[in-house]
This record gives sequence, structure tokens and C-alpha cells, in this order.
Amino acid sequence: MFLQQLVNGLTIGGIYAMIAVGYTMIYGVIQLINFAHGEIYMLGAFFAITFISVLGLPFYAAFPLAMACCAVCGVLLDVIAYRPLRKSPRLAALITAIGMSIFLQNLAMVIWGSRPKPFPHGTLPVYFEKTAVSFGGVNLSWFHIFIYCLTIVMMVGLNLIIKKTRWGKAMRAVAQNKTMAALAGINVNRVISYTFLLAGALGGAAGIMTGAFYNKIEPTMGYIAGVKAFAAAVLGGIGSVPGAMLGGVVLGVAEAFGAGYLSSLYRDGISYAVMIAVIILIPAGLFGRVLKETKKSM
Amino acid sequence: MRNKWTILLTGLVFGLAVVLSMATGAAAENIRIGVASPFTGDLAAYGDNIKAGVSLKLKEINDAGGINGQQVELVWGDDLCAPKEAGTVGSKFAADESIVAVIGHLCSSATLAAVPIYVRAGLPSISPTSTNPTIGDVGKGWFFRNCYTDDFQGKYLASYVVPELLGKKSVAIFYENNDYAIGLKDSFVAGAETAGLKVVGAEAYVSKTTDFTPQLTKLLQGKPDTIFLCGYHPEGALIAGQSRKLGFTGPLFGADGIDNEDYIKIGGKATDNTYLTVPFLAASAGPEGKAFAERFKEAYGRDVDWMSANAYDCLGILAQVIAKTGPDRKKIRDGLAAINSEADGYKGITGLTYFDKKGDCAKPAFVKMVKDGKFMSAE
Repeated sequence: MFLQQLVNGLTIGGIYAMIAVGYTMIYGVIQLINFAHGEIYMLGAFFAITFISVLGLPFYAAFPLAMACCAVCGVLLDVIAYRPLRKSPRLAALITAIGMSIFLQNLAMVIWGSRPKPFPHGTLPVYFEKTAVSFGGVNLSWFHIFIYCLTIVMMVGLNLIIKKTRWGKAMRAVAQNKTMAALAGINVNRVISYTFLLAGALGGAAGIMTGAFYNKIEPTMGYIAGVKAFAAAVLGGIGSVPGAMLGGVVLGVAEAFGAGYLSSLYRDGISYAVMIAVIILIPAGLFGRVLKETKKSM
Repeated sequence: MRNKWTILLTGLVFGLAVVLSMATGAAAENIRIGVASPFTGDLAAYGDNIKAGVSLKLKEINDAGGINGQQVELVWGDDLCAPKEAGTVGSKFAADESIVAVIGHLCSSATLAAVPIYVRAGLPSISPTSTNPTIGDVGKGWFFRNCYTDDFQGKYLASYVVPELLGKKSVAIFYENNDYAIGLKDSFVAGAETAGLKVVGAEAYVSKTTDFTPQLTKLLQGKPDTIFLCGYHPEGALIAGQSRKLGFTGPLFGADGIDNEDYIKIGGKATDNTYLTVPFLAASAGPEGKAFAERFKEAYGRDVDWMSANAYDCLGILAQVIAKTGPDRKKIRDGLAAINSEADGYKGITGLTYFDKKGDCAKPAFVKMVKDGKFMSAE
């Protein structure tokens, strides 16, 4: 049972990690907690089932296409809602983020209806349902393996982008100091757009995988997932990309073990308790840096 | 000058008052009945069923000239199956003097929240679907239902469906943390003891959960022959799917809360080999029930479900009572309470309905199953 719970926890944890990375990257560059990020995740799932059921695309084509759409949505979100407020107090942007979250949720309800939808049956690759590994009571399907591999590939890819490319260098520079980065000739707004692009694509991918694996897609699904991922980002130290990855996995595993060994009714409570404990014991999170408060921006 | 204005204004106010009173006067000629169900949210599919059932009966009544010449009008109240919303809807119905009776609510938790409000306001209510056994005590004579209670349903599942129909010995229970599912689970567990069934574990979940794998992993440790989906269809469908992913191949079973086309739509192939108890089954119904099933299919293009049938009969019962007593809250209550013996029972499409002192009724359960992606009779 221990191993199977680990499998369960890693699956949901990987998904949390992918959303959490989006939170943390955006916070890194513009110090904004993008509450509408959970809605991008929700849109990813809806885009995927729409491409599959309306356009008749196969899963492998719908997946990247939906990710691309989410990336574009992320950029649009920034351009429409956050860019005009770049110079305003941070609170204004935060409230706008909450507003965009509610707006997108309701928009999805208008477009797709409020009833939960399944992932279209029979459109997933057949081997997904087949058992890949089975030992000692553990059942690992190819779908599990697909999710793990995809999570790892995306996380490694993201790390390479941030560490090795000029684009990533610019992102890191903007995260450190926007004014200095601008003086050094970096187009700050473009770098912020790139960040939203990456965050949107990852969030969308997480939404598609959740929709396909747990088989329930509804306009309100982004809310809880968003809050959990935010908790994961805080757990890892907000602003730190490896921290968010680890935070997501830790949260998912804690939830699975909590539900499996303690009481299943408290699974959400357990994940928040873990977050609170980390904030009390290590205020900066697992990978966060402690910053001295220098200047109030408000 | 000033006088002129005053006269004009007074005239306007009076005119408006007359028009308004005429408008309400015209509306008062209709008999207004409240219908409370989840019309939006996760369980909107249930609300659709209730709407379909009562609307069919409403059309029949009004086409035949209404009740003693008065047309019937339904007032919809969306409670989202949530106790909090049910309280709001209940207060609204109770405060509206023109509403003489309520059909609803649908979910037991919603009914338990709304019924005390109706009792205080002296408004009779009849639920087509709430099966929690404790509602009758809360209702203090103002609550009625034309479905069986979970005391009966849980024991029926434990004494007949699992050991006889499925031929299984051990059960894992997965129940939602609400009044309906907890009541049903308790009565099943009590029945299982008498029937000699082994309950290998019981796990709770909250509505809107999507990942059930940790709890399922724990339950499957006990190697159950079958899993009891004790809750509503949206979660039931996900549990069915995820249990198959974890390698469970045995039959699943549930109660009236699982019975909805959406269960198969969401769960797909994984829902095959699911057994359900329901209060009405077209295939096992009498000739009137069968005729109703055909009318229903003609009107809505889908197979009739038990909720629509019970809702249809609820309005039928109310119409029969109001025809005798007139549209008055207290008199309607007395009229409903007088339907208390087999001889006075209401003969509807779901069989004979008559109430005991708590407003409950004794009705049989039927078993249906999912086979090749379709609901069918299991017996």
C-alpha cells in the first residue's frame, strides 16, 4: 500500500508542481500572485476536449495545440489585465488577478456550460489504460508513466531554458532588478510576456493531464487546483523554480499519505497544514531566499 | 401650481396602485406551487429530471382545465443541493404567501435544511427523492415523500442485492460526507451484519473531489468482492473509473443517487457491471407506468428515470388534494395527512402511495444495472 500511495501522490504532485512553477515564475519577474493561473489550467482541459470532440483531432495533436492556446491566453492575460497596471501599487494588480480569475471562470461557464464534462471516451491512446508495471500490489499504468515522463521532461526543459538560454538569462535579470535590466537594454515587457507564455503552456499541460487522468472537467476546477499549487509554490519558496517543483511533489505525496493513512476527509486540511508548518518553521520556504525588507512599493 | 403637481402625483400613485393590484389579482388566480431542486451546479442533471417530470404533469393538469378552473403555476427554486442555498430558497418560498405547497427538495441535506423553515411557516412540502430516514421527525407532520427511505434501501441492498443477486460476501464502502450517504451507509452496515456480509472498510469523501486513488488504494487492501458507491453520480462515475485503473474488476453497486444517464456518460466503460436500487423502473412498472415512460420519451427524447416519475406523481398527489381542499396551506397539509391508508392511497405511475404519521411511505425497490453502456433491468 505504501508504494501505491506513493504512485498516487506523485501523480497528483507532478500536476501540482507544473501549476506551481507558473505561479512562482510570474511572482519571480513581477512580484504578482497570479490568481488567474488556475483558470489557465482549467482552460487547457477545455481546449483539449474541444479540439478532440469538435475538430476531431487525435490526443497527441490536441495536447500541444491546447498548450499553445494556453500560452497565448497567458500572454493576453498579461497584456490586457496586468500591463496597464505595471506602475500601479501591487495591490491593484492582485485584485485584478482575482477579478480575471472570476471572469475566466464565468466565461468558461458561458461557453462550455456548468456541468462537469468527461474527457471524450475512446480518444485517449489505447495503451494508456494498460498496466505497465505490477508488483507487490502496485499498479502502474502507462498513463502514470506518461504523466511522470512529461512532468520530468517539462521541468528539465524549463530549467534548461532558464539556465542556458539568453531568454532565460533575461528573465533572471528582470527578476533581480527590473530597472537595471531595462538599462542594460533588455525589453522588460517582452521578457514578462515570455514568462507568461511559459507559465501558460505548463499550466495548460497540467490541466489537460488532470482532465484526461481524473476524467472530470468543469469551469470551477481551476480554483482548488490553483490554491493547492499556490500552497506548493509557497512551500518551496515563492520565486524559486526548483522549490515549486519540489513543493508540488511534497504536497501531492503528503495528501495521498494523509488520505491513505489518516482520514480521507482531511486530505485538503493536511496539505494546508503542511504549508502552514513550513511557513512557521522555514518562513522563506524550502528553497526561498531571505530578503531584507528594503523599500515598500506601496 | 403646486396643487396641480400634488394632484397629478396622487393620481399617478393611485393609478399605479390600481394597476398593480389588478396585476397581482390576476396572478392570484393561479395556484402557485414551489419546486426546489439543484437546477445548476454538479447535480443539475437531477434538477433537469425533476423539471421534466413535473412539467409533464403540469401540462396535463392545465390542458385539462386546471384544478377546479384554476391554472397551476410552478415557481422554481435552485438549491444547488447545498443546505445553505436550500435555506435561502426555503425562506423565499415560505415568505411568498401565494405559494401553497412545495415539491422538494431533492437532496436529503437540502431537505433537512429547508423543512424546519416550512414547518415554522406552516407550508406543506412533499419530496419526490429525499430518502434520509430522519427527515420525517424534523417534518412534524408538514413533510411528506413518495419515495422509500434509506432504512429500507440500505437493508434491501445488504440483504438481497449483494448476497442474493450479486452473490458476493465482502464489501468496501465509499460514501460521501452528507446526510443522505451517511444515513444510507449506516443502514447498510446494520443490514450487512444481519446478513453476514463482511465490510472490509468504509472511506468518506467530500463532494467535488476528483482524485479518489488514495482512499481506493486503502479500501482495495481488504480485497473486497464489490464496492458500494454510496453517494451521487458525478463522484460515483469517477470512483468507478479510478477503481478500474487500480485493477479492481468486480461488480460495483449503488443506490438511487447513482441513477442518472450522466453516470455512464462520465464514467464510460468503467461503469459496466454496476447495480443500482431505484424506486421506479419503467420495465417493472404497471401499465400506467409503461404508458408514462412512452409519453416521457416522446416529450424529451430520453428514457424516463425514477426522479422524473416520482416528481410527476408528487404534483399529481398535490393536484388531487388541492382539488378537494382548495389552495390553502393548512388544508393541503390536512389533505395530504389524510392519505394514510391503502384504501385512501394515491394511485400513480409509481404505484400506490400513502403516508404514515411521519409522512413516509412504504414502496418497493427495483434493481437496475449497467450493461454495455446502457441501463437495464437487473432482475
